Amino acid sequence: MSPPQSRTPPPAPPPSSARQQTPGSSSSSARGAPPPPHADGAGLQSRPSFRDSKYSEILGADVVSLPDLRRLAWNGVPPAYRPTVWKLLCGYMPANRDRRAAALARKRREYAEAVAAHFAAAADAARSAQEQALLRQILVDIPRTAPDAPLFAEVAAVQRSMTRALYVWAQRHPASGYVQGINDLLTPFYVVFLGEHVVGGEGGGAGAAAAAAAAALPEEALKEIEADAYWCLTKLLDNIQDHYTAMQPGLQRMVLRLEELVRRIDLDLHAHLAAEGVQFIQFAFRWMNCLLMRELPLPAIVRAWDTYLSEEDGGFESFHVYVCAALLCKFSPALLRLDFAALVLFLQDMPTRAWSEADVEPLLSQAYILSTLFENSSAHLNVTS
Amino acid sequence: MAGKDEEYDYLFKVVLIGDSGVGKSNLLSRFTRNEFNLESKSTIGVEFATKSIQTENKVIKAQIWDTAGQERYRAITSAYYRGAVGALLVYDISKHITFENVERWLKELRDHAEANIVVMLVGNKCDLRHLRTVSVEEATEFAEKNKLAFIETSALDASGVDTAFQRILTEIYRLMNKKQMSAGGSSPTPALGQGETIALSSGATDKAGSRSKTACSGCRT
Ligand SMILES: Nc1nc2c(ncn2[C@@H]2O[C@H](COP(=O)(O)OP(=O)(O)O)[C@@H](O)[C@H]2O)c(=O)[nH]1
Ligand SMILES: [Mg+2]
Repeated sequence: MSPPQSRTPPPAPPPSSARQQTPGSSSSSARGAPPPPHADGAGLQSRPSFRDSKYSEILGADVVSLPDLRRLAWNGVPPAYRPTVWKLLCGYMPANRDRRAAALARKRREYAEAVAAHFAAAADAARSAQEQALLRQILVDIPRTAPDAPLFAEVAAVQRSMTRALYVWAQRHPASGYVQGINDLLTPFYVVFLGEHVVGGEGGGAGAAAAAAAAALPEEALKEIEADAYWCLTKLLDNIQDHYTAMQPGLQRMVLRLEELVRRIDLDLHAHLAAEGVQFIQFAFRWMNCLLMRELPLPAIVRAWDTYLSEEDGGFESFHVYVCAALLCKFSPALLRLDFAALVLFLQDMPTRAWSEADVEPLLSQAYILSTLFENSSAHLNVTS
Repeated sequence: MAGKDEEYDYLFKVVLIGDSGVGKSNLLSRFTRNEFNLESKSTIGVEFATKSIQTENKVIKAQIWDTAGQERYRAITSAYYRGAVGALLVYDISKHITFENVERWLKELRDHAEANIVVMLVGNKCDLRHLRTVSVEEATEFAEKNKLAFIETSALDASGVDTAFQRILTEIYRLMNKKQMSAGGSSPTPALGQGETIALSSGATDKAGSRSKTACSGCRT
């Protein structure tokens, strides 16, 4: 799609303190930045800053410059702009302002029709055995998708909505169908798109406030969120479909690339894992299958996805492998002291579960550095092709 | 890495298999950490835990691999059957379909596991008395026909859980002993040898006499 040479982002600037207080965000911002351009957007919670005005400038254009947007969004998107930015970066919402309303309306209608065809109309009895098994599997997984997040654990309407979206996606993608873990991947979209409908809320959380807001949403609004989440999930998965098809070849490939990368970055760690008999597939399978969603808390994931979506191609594939490598090597000193059982236990229950957004940023920066170091030799990293 | 860990006489690898949602992960957390979680996330790929038990004056360390139940993951999970000397094949007594699928799981084992793996059929969630759709009789009959040990458990109220693990590990130990004696060797290797197919409930091997079939006591109606 775009020239492979033009790596999107500038190397992430040094630690967050320097970044959040962007140059030009002097307190003389009495004029304030214009509000975010999306129609029903929540107001800005934080004080307008240089970064905010950059966003309103880029997003306010008649035709949004995606390269500019990527460069900016790579370093994190303010919550108020996130719904719009994600829809643009996913390729779901047209960059051309004039075409947006019609395009979204058409997509939402198309989704509603798919629901009617695959889900609503079919009474349980009319489902094939395979469809019943599919529905059963989704229904088993939905309540345990994010048990600690009230938005997903407690709001029945949200659970029903996600069930429909996953079921329809599976029906329309028979080569992979629903695979456990895809339910995890749907949640960031709900969190972010719900943020658009919650004025003065916590700006895209999944806590009690978000749950209350979601429960109080008019049905139509939830349907929009559902359709938008469905299409963005579709776009995301289109790029990594062979992660979930039979034998999961794409996923195996990523695990191999991770191992090769770690062997080059941290030979001692690689040798230690090998000596203890730990195979990368044992722990990294889930890292790839759920894109680290089981390792990092939702706010950290949402922040990471700002960056993934800003990567020109393969944020969820190639860049993700660098993030995994950075993550593993970060814990190298601790890992080197552990034996087989302790290693596996550590890696399947990482101390990253309490991480914040700020913790994930150095990881993304590190991954970026690795990607620039190894990108050119990436052909050699394709162990199996 | 001997010495780092607590001492044990034998290390046995055991796998937990069965449809997703039947309670495998909670059986494992109940056994190894005495924890139960009403809403735990689905298992992706495999998860691992260990626990040591005492049986017949030996310390046996169980290395337990909990697997994802979904079809798509079979390619990944079946790799873990290699070297396993025991399998807990779990179904949910309140979901008959998970019992019907036991047949398929047995085939998985036949295709990927060692021929002499010890298999125990586990009917979990026996606390859900009022929702029971698989009777003890039906499961017992199936277990006998397929020469499997059988027990009902509840990861929720803990009944039968320790017994299930204790029994399968003891059984593995006895079979291994017997095998070694009949081979005339005294090799300390914990792995069962190749060759003969050993079925757990074949009666002759079970010194305790009775065939292994236990419904959790609280669940009989
Ligand atoms: N009532 C009851 N629920 C259980 C029991 N064991 C597990 N569960 C529930 O069943 C669901 C699935 O359990 P899980 O251990 O994740 O099943 P797995 O997919 O086989 O690993 C969870 O909501 C558990 O809380 C049990 O013994 N009794
Ligand atoms: Mg599980």
